[in-house]
Amino acid sequence: MKRLTNILSDIWYVCWREMKHFWGQKVRILMNIIQPVIWLGLMGNMFSNITAIPGFPAKSYLQFMTPGVIAMTSIFGAAFGGMSIVFDRRFGYLNKLLASPISRVSIPMGKMLSSALQAGIQSIIIVLIALALGVKFGTGFTGVLVMVLVAMLLTLAISGISLSLSAVLKTQESLMAVVNFLTMPLIFTSNAMFPTNMMPKWLASIASYNPVSFAVEPMRNLILGSWNWGALGVDIVALIGFGVLMTIIATLLFRRSVA
Amino acid sequence: MDVIIEAEKLTKIYPGGVLAVDHIDLSVKEGEIFGFLGPNGAGKSTTIMMLVTLLHPTEGKARIAGWDIVQHRGRVRSVLGYVSQDIAVDEYLTGWENLLLQGKLYHLSPQEIKTRGKEVLEMVDLWERKDELVQNYSGGMRKRLDIACGLIHRPRILFLDEPTLGLDIQTRSKIWEYIRQLRSEHKMTIFLTTHYMDEADKLCDRIAIIDHGKIMAIGTPLELKRSVGGDLVSIKFQENGNGQREEIFTALKEFPLVESVKEKDSQLLIVTKDGNTAIPQILSRLHDMGAEVQSISMKRPSLDDVFLFYTGRQLRDEEASPQDFYRMRMALRRAKR
Repeated sequence: MKRLTNILSDIWYVCWREMKHFWGQKVRILMNIIQPVIWLGLMGNMFSNITAIPGFPAKSYLQFMTPGVIAMTSIFGAAFGGMSIVFDRRFGYLNKLLASPISRVSIPMGKMLSSALQAGIQSIIIVLIALALGVKFGTGFTGVLVMVLVAMLLTLAISGISLSLSAVLKTQESLMAVVNFLTMPLIFTSNAMFPTNMMPKWLASIASYNPVSFAVEPMRNLILGSWNWGALGVDIVALIGFGVLMTIIATLLFRRSVA
Repeated sequence: MDVIIEAEKLTKIYPGGVLAVDHIDLSVKEGEIFGFLGPNGAGKSTTIMMLVTLLHPTEGKARIAGWDIVQHRGRVRSVLGYVSQDIAVDEYLTGWENLLLQGKLYHLSPQEIKTRGKEVLEMVDLWERKDELVQNYSGGMRKRLDIACGLIHRPRILFLDEPTLGLDIQTRSKIWEYIRQLRSEHKMTIFLTTHYMDEADKLCDRIAIIDHGKIMAIGTPLELKRSVGGDLVSIKFQENGNGQREEIFTALKEFPLVESVKEKDSQLLIVTKDGNTAIPQILSRLHDMGAEVQSISMKRPSLDDVFLFYTGRQLRDEEASPQDFYRMRMALRRAKR
């Protein structure tokens, strides 16, 4: 019992440190606000006529895009989860953590948790901006809560990928290169930007397996006003499964890298 | 006194076959300030990293406070404090937040963190500035905070890797002061590495000279110096005492502690095994003989001489490996901010 509470406390304090970094970087928070404004304001305007194409699932492109922007912002944030380990390694802080009696698994887990919390905050900011731009949230407050939760689950999983990579690639340059190589295709082969029914067949089939789609789809259903419990359940279970899998892989790889 | 750090044939071979630490045996007693002296790349940091459980030994064994460093890593970690040469404080947090986090990592209670945090911050003179971001700290302040972090859980053994690397003279002497205080007030055992001769000489109770991963010599600074040659005592006489020169020569040569006597520039140069004991004996004998001494001085062989004797080269000539050089530069850059 004492062991478990210690592990939970370790995870929390690793996370607490990352959250302190998050709040300490005012520019980063500002960019978190500006970026969705640009995505929603500019892209939403540019593509507003896309809704006229037959088969487009929403009446307003902004409403359609909001879940996509939430997913994208979450992925970009999560992708850099591993970067903090690379920096900790480089500046000697990782050794300080490892020389203390904290459980090894709490380091990747705490960092993943902080990525998820940050994604939650970012998602709320995006929702507020979307509201200001006149986007309707079809399922109301509860729907928004579920959307934020889904974004956090997605982030947990993606930051697990990033942390796994950081255990193998130990320099920031190589990690950046691989992360950049992965994030854009991950977004563009999902349903974040365009509906799958308007994609070429091959792309649509990739999109249906892309984990990002499992997050965007329920968010989009919610914003368009449908509580489709069956589909929601399947997506959330898939996301949780993916998250758990990535947590396990990330912790195993991390443990191996510091052994 | 009990032995608190024990290593037997401790060895580290890095992947790729680099033999960094080569079958080291050592034992450190509780309450000792023990120094590892050697050039960069000699295996000092690797040895510390093994002892604080950050690296697996390739061969050999070591025990910290009785716990095996491989089998009981958790126990070992909770009895030791480790302050690396990297100045690993988090600059996005305040001084106090750094300490709080450290306390939490060692599972201290909020009350313990509060009282001990104040205690260690006062010791390193940072209490007044505890609520400032570490970003605004100078290099010396960061190092002091780092040391405070290593102390909050009251470790029985403190490992300090190059504690004064790149710091200014005042900060260095401050840090020496803290180290002595920790030993005298808390009976803490201190294991430090250094490549500064004066640090090893003035601060450490015992020194191990390490080169190419091997311990070349081990002992108190005095023992090490004596092992390479005796103390040099030089005596100058009053002008009128010249008549007895021959007598004095023969008398001094009879002393068991005296190894040789020479005359140079109207001074007597005496080489002795132990100057501290020999001087009073010599003086009282000279006094009995009626010779009037104007001045007397003693010079010991320096640790530089010792290092040269055991490793065949001078410490300062040593060239660092690229990795060490990079680490040193990073540490210096952070220290100088």
